Amino acid sequence: MKAEEGTAAYWRKLLGLDEPGNPALFKLKPVWQAGLRPAFYHLLGLIFRSYCPVKVVGLENLPPRPPYIIAANHASSMDFAVVAWAMGKRREELFALTTKLFYDIAFTRFWIKLAANAVRIDTVADFFPALRAAAKVLLAGKAVYINPEGTRSVNGAILPFRPGVGLLSIETSVPIIPVYLKDTWKVLRPGSILPRPARIEVRFDRPLDPEAYRLNGGPAYDGYKALTEELRQRIVALSSS
Amino acid sequence: MNREQLTAEIRSMVARIIKQPEDRILPDANLFSDLGVDSLLGVEIIASLDRKYSLDVPEGRLKDIKTLNDIVEMVASFLANK
Repeated sequence: MKAEEGTAAYWRKLLGLDEPGNPALFKLKPVWQAGLRPAFYHLLGLIFRSYCPVKVVGLENLPPRPPYIIAANHASSMDFAVVAWAMGKRREELFALTTKLFYDIAFTRFWIKLAANAVRIDTVADFFPALRAAAKVLLAGKAVYINPEGTRSVNGAILPFRPGVGLLSIETSVPIIPVYLKDTWKVLRPGSILPRPARIEVRFDRPLDPEAYRLNGGPAYDGYKALTEELRQRIVALSSS
Repeated sequence: MNREQLTAEIRSMVARIIKQPEDRILPDANLFSDLGVDSLLGVEIIASLDRKYSLDVPEGRLKDIKTLNDIVEMVASFLANK
């Protein structure tokens, strides 16, 4: 047996996958959120049907129930809200990881929690807290929203993907739904506050099954990387379909 | 195993994992900025070392490792304390 073989166990330990989950953790939602969120998305819908019309394609590709990972390209701060709006009532099963830089400011936290089931993460320290938080969401039977580029594209071009999404999918055995967001960057660019009118599209692709990428014995990373690359190819294909 | 042998063994392992020739892995070359290793591939190196030498590397040590020398130092220190 080669030295590199069987590294998946170390990854599982780092992700805390063998620790007991706590589904109750993700069921709690303050009354104000439960009351205001539908109103927020209703108002958003008025904008998404007129000022910047959103076309939704392939929503039937969502698995019948969570857990799953929504992996979308990232070009605007409105991306999560667009996907959540497109998902209708099923947005309630979707969780977003939110950096403490925004979560710890009362004003932005209010808006984040209004729009999303948010999990606070400390991305400044390193990336494992984020992956662990995402794993906990999935182990609790929920869905998690991830931008595999790790940063925003300034012109809509799809950037290279970081392989953490592949790791998460393979080690939790949860499928990835590739999502392409078209032209959200034209509506709300980095640094701008007021949206500009433009047509947006959200394209959901069929689920990507991680099992074919699980390497039995080899360096686990190679499987994570291969799955992530396939995910990127799927989103690139969605962008030109 | 002396320090030189340990370095050679680890260099060979790192080269296989990051798919680079051994002679590119200089002792003080930064694996991330000089050799294009991403964060997860860095962890894969540690995972392989962990398995080969039964080190049980705590997560907190991962961010201290940037070069081949750092890795050799860490492994030597773990082996000495076993």
